[in-house]
Amino acid sequence: MTRIGQHVVVVALMLGLVEGGSVPGADAQSPPPIKVGFASAMTGPSAITGEGVKWAAQMLADEYNAKGGIMGRKIEIYFGDNGGTPGEAVSAVRKLADVDKVDVIVGQTHSGACLGALPVVKELGVPMVIEACSNPKIREQIGKSVNEWAFRVNPDDVMLANQFAKHMAKTAKSVSIFAQNDDFGRGAAAAYDAAFKKTGIKLVSTEFFDRGQADYRPVLTRVKRANPEAVLLVMLASEGSVFMRQYRELGLNQKLFARGSMATLEFLHQVRDAPGIGDGLVEATYWTAALDPEWEKRWQERWKVPVRVHGSLAAIAFRYAVAPAIEQAIKKTGRADRKSIRDALETVDSPDTPVGRVKFDDTHQAFINMLLVEISGGQLKILERIPIQP
Amino acid sequence: MDDLLEQAVHGLTLGSLYAMVAAGLALMFGVVRLINFAHGEFYMLGGYAFWYAYRELGLPYPVAGLAATGVLSAFGWAYERTVIRTILPRTWHVQLIATLATSITLTNGAILVFGTQPKEVPTRLSSTILEIGGLRIAAQRLVVLIAALLIFAGLEWFVTRSKLGRAMRAMSQNREACAVVGVDVQQIALVTFAISAALAAGAAVLVSPLFNIFPDVGALLTLKAFAAVITGGFGYVKGAIAASFLIGLAESLAAGYVSYAYKDAIAFIVMVLVLLVRPQGLFGRRIGI
Repeated sequence: MTRIGQHVVVVALMLGLVEGGSVPGADAQSPPPIKVGFASAMTGPSAITGEGVKWAAQMLADEYNAKGGIMGRKIEIYFGDNGGTPGEAVSAVRKLADVDKVDVIVGQTHSGACLGALPVVKELGVPMVIEACSNPKIREQIGKSVNEWAFRVNPDDVMLANQFAKHMAKTAKSVSIFAQNDDFGRGAAAAYDAAFKKTGIKLVSTEFFDRGQADYRPVLTRVKRANPEAVLLVMLASEGSVFMRQYRELGLNQKLFARGSMATLEFLHQVRDAPGIGDGLVEATYWTAALDPEWEKRWQERWKVPVRVHGSLAAIAFRYAVAPAIEQAIKKTGRADRKSIRDALETVDSPDTPVGRVKFDDTHQAFINMLLVEISGGQLKILERIPIQP
Repeated sequence: MDDLLEQAVHGLTLGSLYAMVAAGLALMFGVVRLINFAHGEFYMLGGYAFWYAYRELGLPYPVAGLAATGVLSAFGWAYERTVIRTILPRTWHVQLIATLATSITLTNGAILVFGTQPKEVPTRLSSTILEIGGLRIAAQRLVVLIAALLIFAGLEWFVTRSKLGRAMRAMSQNREACAVVGVDVQQIALVTFAISAALAAGAAVLVSPLFNIFPDVGALLTLKAFAAVITGGFGYVKGAIAASFLIGLAESLAAGYVSYAYKDAIAFIVMVLVLLVRPQGLFGRRIGI
């Protein structure tokens, strides 16, 4: 080898061009990954939802990447912590869009955070698929003519309330509402107030509570005094377990209805020492573990805790809206940038999913099924599957 | 009448919780002149220690309770040696940021270690419902009330009769004079933090079977305990305890008869009202335990 040739080999080795046959050119030729941001509450009193979303995202990324990604493009996941509040949601979206440079966002789990994030996704031009925010105001702020960047998979509380109130009216003529003091709780309370008027149910009282409460006895004493035939709870499992213990402690026997995550495996896990404590409670929801036993099994095996609702809803949004949109975008334009994914989301049609059809109308709202799930004998039972019409 | 009695019992339970946390805060301020913003996290850690001992290790309730209290007492000791001793000679700004940073670190550490799912530690007593007249209460609530009274009686005895307690009182009056006459002020500060942390853990052991434990549980509790300490007269332990019961009762009655949504504001409304009439607090003549 000539002296010049030796220098070339040394330099090539130093640059890693020869060793192990790993040629950077090969990496440069492999298509760039698709960056997906997941926004939820990772800290604060609602952190349990974000933890579920994070776990679901990791399962999804592994699942898709094991199959080679989407159209040969690997999935890279990023997380934004919205703390469950509008202010932090703004920071979470900016971080995902500006720092992590994600192509699409799934989230925000909490209605308040969602309302905070909507103007920002519009300003930054990043598509966001909402998986679990049910405040009715969101519908006024998304869609082709208002905010073309936001899409919602889950139904809102006006859609649910109209159906659920009809069910409640069969067994109760008077109801008290006990709801979270946030956009989710207040939005739901207003929706049920209106729905009760249509169905002839008398609304006896409406009480709000801040998340992270320890003691519900004062308000339960008020419910006892008002003596409605039923109570509608708008709360998550994390609060619901303590609430139910105190409900039983006071000896209340009103019929219980719920919105949130009460009739779930999360709740049953929390009260596993007294599995019958929630018996009789009926919840209006759009996801339950029985819809996807395979997902539930894999979740339990990997995380060693029962499958969580909010993570599962993020998975639904990803699998049946985001992933098909990415695939369509690549097929149609050869790209999976923000604009292509947004355009593709408008034409996504996943007719056969565990939650019903995922297809967005002009207001960027999908109409999946509503479920009535009852806790009976410490088990979950789907009472009814109700298609929601546009 | 039953209704009022029910709210009163509930208010006293809440008051017991606030009092045990506030007493620790008042002790710390009285003896060391430092506001510990991480005090609510002592309660949170005490709750997790109790959960681990009771649910995971399967120890009997009293043993698990004592173990959790002991562990937190050691934690309070270590906290004084590492964080407090470093920041004590610094300005109040440094102390504020350091204790706040500790609070945030402990909360997020708990998320990492214990996860976000709340831990429940129901006991046989919390599921035993007693019917007294028209009143239905869990036996655990009576345990909380009785144990709190015993703890406060023990604290009073310790502070007034024991050598260490008398040294703590002396230090709350004049730290420099104590040092001059040979009192080991650092040792007294250590003991104060150990006792304060044990009090918070004791509250968690008593109350956790009724409520649940989650990483953020200490944040609001710290604020309410502060309101009690200020209302009672800053640094005056008996004042903080009395104010805690006043706040617990006011909160319960307001939540039961006015509005549940705004119940967390009650502690601060009581504080403002008391300060308007008595700027030194209900019992505050001077700083001292």
